[in-house]
Amino acid sequence: MRTPSSSAALTRLVLLLLCLASAGCRLEDITPEQFGMIASSVQTIGKAARPVSDQEEYYIGRAVAARLTATYPLYRNKRLTEYLNLVGQTLALHTEQPATFGGYHFAVLDTPEINAFACPGGTVLITRGMVASVKNEDELAAVLAHELGHVIHRDGIAAIQSSRWSQALLVIGGQAAREFSPKETAQLVSLFQGSIDDVVKTLVVNGYGREQEKKADRAALGYLAAAGYDPQGLVGYLERLQEAGRGSKGGILATHPGTEERLENVREAGAVSADRSGVPRRSKRFAELVP
Amino acid sequence: MRAIACHILLICLLAAVDAAAGTVSVVTRDNAIRSENRFFAPVRAKVRYGDRLTIIGRKGDWYQVSAKGVSGWVHKSAVESRSYSASGRGGASGGVSADEVSLAGKGFNPQVEAGYRNANKNLNYAAVDEIEHLVVGEKSLETFIQQGGLIQP
Repeated sequence: MRTPSSSAALTRLVLLLLCLASAGCRLEDITPEQFGMIASSVQTIGKAARPVSDQEEYYIGRAVAARLTATYPLYRNKRLTEYLNLVGQTLALHTEQPATFGGYHFAVLDTPEINAFACPGGTVLITRGMVASVKNEDELAAVLAHELGHVIHRDGIAAIQSSRWSQALLVIGGQAAREFSPKETAQLVSLFQGSIDDVVKTLVVNGYGREQEKKADRAALGYLAAAGYDPQGLVGYLERLQEAGRGSKGGILATHPGTEERLENVREAGAVSADRSGVPRRSKRFAELVP
Repeated sequence: MRAIACHILLICLLAAVDAAAGTVSVVTRDNAIRSENRFFAPVRAKVRYGDRLTIIGRKGDWYQVSAKGVSGWVHKSAVESRSYSASGRGGASGGVSADEVSLAGKGFNPQVEAGYRNANKNLNYAAVDEIEHLVVGEKSLETFIQQGGLIQP
């Protein structure tokens, strides 16, 4: 992502190099001032062009979760929430990113709607309707694994308009120890708000792109297999979605279109070999918590 | 021109290399230096965001590190090879890199969150804090994995 200030610095650098080259200049001919300009331009480019950090992603994720839980209240079932976290944490430890700034967290939203949301940074929210729609622990794990795929691929962050982040970087500047003025803080809050709007709109209204869904499904297959879950759980979960789709078009079906296509993609990825011997005992503990 | 370009490239490369080679910074809020290169191994020391760890070795996805008078292992996803000085002054030029600025927490941070919360009273941050507050213990997780016939990480 290139920001306006980095573009200006790059332009300055290129112009300087062109001038030096056209004058037949060699390195030893560069004056200390010219060398200083080159170094400054290189430094400015480096400073301006940085992605959203893990810590910033965490604060974005918190705000997204605060928006979602303002619409859908938490489903306060301690045993179910703990169980969900045990399944989710098991999967997270088998991903390529077991650690995030604020860690992974999983919670249930109190709505019969069938949906799940990946908040940037590592909080995954799944609806009571979704929990009720899956038939065993391996399918529940598949739902969470898919959402973990979105978190790790930073699909939520990708929904933020790049111009917002460019503007934020201009305000943030390049001094680690500097305090923001009230005006700068207000500008950052406004850009932060816009960023949250972008992410929530994608999560709730528009949904991720087809390719992002496909990649999240492929990643989910890998996480499930690595953790010892049956990757076929993902097929089961998608079949549940398909069944639900016959009766309704809301919830996840509005934001995750093309269940048929997703099923094809998952089947195309091939059957990942798995030891299914643990499925019955996992299904038993699932049934005890999700009647 | 080629010589100049080479030197510019060198400057860029040097800027990209960590100022203190052989060290990494913790980029998660909390983490641990473990006695072995696996999750659930006994914890030798707790580390926090921004702590500097000296790299001794590497095995797979784990760094062998030393800090706080102990040595042990930390997962690669918990650290990055960047740092910042509390003074805000980096190298000889007095400037700091973008990584240093972000590691110093300059950006979307608690100050910005506070402003956002203040401007949007309808947000449910209490629920978010509640979600984050629930942490399953390592022993519970290890037992859960074992009882479910799953694979220990």
